[in-house]
Amino acid sequence: MDARLRRVNKEIADCKNDKTSKITLELVDESPFHLKGAFPGPEGTPYEGGHFEVDIRIPDSYPFQPLKMKFITKVYHPNISSASGAICLDILKDAWSPVLTLKSTLISLQSLLCSPEPNDPQDAEVAKHYMTSRSSFEETARYWTHIYAGGPEAKAAGKARDTPVGAVRDEIAIAGLEKAHVDQFEALGFERTKVIDVLRRLNYRGANVAKITEDRVVEELLKS
Amino acid sequence: MSDFEYSDEEADYFYDDEEEMDTQEDGSAPSDDDMDMETFNDDFRVTGKGKRKSYEVECEPLSKSDVEKLMQQDVDHISGIFGVDDTTASLLLRFMDWNKEKLIEKYMDNASAISISAGISQPSIPSLPPPIRASSLSRGVEKPATRRSVRSAPSVSAKLLTKTKSLEPFVCPICFDDTQSDTMSLSCDHAFCTSCWNAYITSKIREEGEHWIRCMAEGCSLVAPDPFVKSALGTDTATWERFQELLVRHFVSHNRNLKYCPYPECTYTVSCPSAASKSSLASMVPTVTCGASPDHQFCFGCAIESDHRPVICAVASMWLRKCRDDSETANWIKSNTKECNKCQSTIEKNGGCNHMTCKKCKHEFCWVCMGPWSEHGTAWYSCNRYDEKASQDARDSQSKSRASLERYLHYYNRWANHEQSAKLSMELHAKTEKKMEEMQITSALTWIEVQFMKKAVDEVFKCRMTLKWTYAMAYYLEKGNEKELFEDNQRDLEKAVEDLSELLEQPIEADNIPTLRQKVTDKTVYVQKRNEIMLEDTANGFLEGRWTWNGTVEGFD
Ligand SMILES: [Zn+2]
Ligand SMILES: [Zn+2]
Ligand SMILES: [Zn+2]
Ligand SMILES: [Zn+2]
Ligand SMILES: [Zn+2]
Ligand SMILES: [Zn+2]
Repeated sequence: MDARLRRVNKEIADCKNDKTSKITLELVDESPFHLKGAFPGPEGTPYEGGHFEVDIRIPDSYPFQPLKMKFITKVYHPNISSASGAICLDILKDAWSPVLTLKSTLISLQSLLCSPEPNDPQDAEVAKHYMTSRSSFEETARYWTHIYAGGPEAKAAGKARDTPVGAVRDEIAIAGLEKAHVDQFEALGFERTKVIDVLRRLNYRGANVAKITEDRVVEELLKS
Repeated sequence: MSDFEYSDEEADYFYDDEEEMDTQEDGSAPSDDDMDMETFNDDFRVTGKGKRKSYEVECEPLSKSDVEKLMQQDVDHISGIFGVDDTTASLLLRFMDWNKEKLIEKYMDNASAISISAGISQPSIPSLPPPIRASSLSRGVEKPATRRSVRSAPSVSAKLLTKTKSLEPFVCPICFDDTQSDTMSLSCDHAFCTSCWNAYITSKIREEGEHWIRCMAEGCSLVAPDPFVKSALGTDTATWERFQELLVRHFVSHNRNLKYCPYPECTYTVSCPSAASKSSLASMVPTVTCGASPDHQFCFGCAIESDHRPVICAVASMWLRKCRDDSETANWIKSNTKECNKCQSTIEKNGGCNHMTCKKCKHEFCWVCMGPWSEHGTAWYSCNRYDEKASQDARDSQSKSRASLERYLHYYNRWANHEQSAKLSMELHAKTEKKMEEMQITSALTWIEVQFMKKAVDEVFKCRMTLKWTYAMAYYLEKGNEKELFEDNQRDLEKAVEDLSELLEQPIEADNIPTLRQKVTDKTVYVQKRNEIMLEDTANGFLEGRWTWNGTVEGFD
């Protein structure tokens, strides 16, 4: 049998037999080289309670070339693209070793959720958010876990998330912004989506708010 | 890691090489055909050979093995100083991107530290977890046993090929195969089966083009030395060859005096120390040819994979960038059809000549400027020169940006036209050549006698390339006396080339061949002379600092 197939089959079987790790693997189609992996968000992080799914492609020269992985579930994390799910992790690139497996790589992704690396970001905007205001970042990450990964509802700490369950998703919370800030510029006559877009790009959060003048925001709003 | 500069001293060392670098692959004597060609070429020779012209650069083609000899010199030098074997010296040099001075400095400072960084030896104390985030997830394949002391001059040869025949059944941690008994490991003792090593190294070399091949164990930074790579590849000599080629490329890419031939599959290198510094490129165009084929012509100074004489690299690149940026506005010009401005019927260009005659109304005009041909054929040939006066008028009536676009289009139009005409003349020649071959059979003409067309077409092609780049240069030249002289040369060359092109499009019949041959040969000699003048004068202008630019060109401000 083809060495790659033998190894992948064994890896899938090992993962099935291992009941402790809570890592699951399933076929996407008939090919054993296109899989969907999943794991629970790590405890004690904003991802806790979420169920995270990862698209896995096994390259022809696996295990000598790294697995190709990206998040299917939307994740708010400095090393994961909030738009595409692309992952910035060294073992998926240069630091790949053929002794790594599907399971160990998924565990690495899980631990990546525990320890973001904002200095080597995949999503620069999210990384900026993480750097300026940790608590606001975590709140947003938790909100994403709730709406995209089926995590528990964010505890309305300090702020009123008055959207009833099942109603339209709160786009301000998704962008990690304050409702008061968005309202402020919306009142000047700009479209809400535009305001959200510009404030997110400018990282209008936490201590940064004091550094960005109203004129600057308006200037950006007029440009966009 | 690439910001090391080679000293000038370093620049000389290729020329101290006493070994003759013979570029003739087979070393055979020239054949009779070559001799004939020599005599034949004498008909066309304008100036004697031997003396290097001012637009030519001194360069030397090096084969893969020539470069390997140079690499070996460095390796010998380093292994002599450090008292290490060749394999170790090579890895150290590769790690330091072949910067010998820096390597010597670092090695003298801390030999064991650099040996560890270069993947030759392991840290003697079990190091901190490897700097990868998933380190805690290592599956325990690493055995922290047998850490070797690196106090003494390290050597990689000792434990190179540990092909172990173990008694216990070995399960390879990569392929999970327990039937394989042949294993290999580097000095770290991370054992894997031979076929996994083979697949891994092959994938690194073939798919990633990587010559720096680390141990397969997670977090282990030992690097596979050459004998290990060779042994793992076994009978796959093609991949081993590719590995050696990657090593040569790495060496060449870190030596300012060398450049790898950009032609696909080619493994030649060109040495051109006189064009190694950035400042030298402000006054010369280092067009070089690799030893594999005379067609492998490229610029040593920039990324342009063809001869861009007479214009220097910075200006040529600037022009190409501009053309790319403005390509949409200029796209319409590239179209191969135009309308006759007398009868409006559509005319398609199918030869390289710019002298157009409308099939319908017989109106003769110039393809480039659409002006009547009568004005081009006589004393004042002004198609090459952008009429600043006319553009002044345009500026009055139109917006300034429109005028500058028109100015650009004037040059771009001619630039693109020479490119297109050159291609068309090659196509036309392909047809002619067939006819000439037939004629050789049906008439009394010899092979030599029908070659004049080929020679002429080659010359036309070459000159159109020169002309093409002269328009890029003229676009950036500050107007004034010097530019006018430049454009005079350009016009003379252009006129000569158009005349020759026209001759080449004449129908060939067996009985007109002798006269045609005479005419074409004369014209070819003349065109060749004009091209020499164009290139020579422009090159001299650079050396004399005669050219002034109307924009900011790198190296001139
Ligand atoms: Zn194996
Ligand atoms: Zn190792
Ligand atoms: Zn070549
Ligand atoms: Zn160049
Ligand atoms: Zn007509
Ligand atoms: Zn014209």
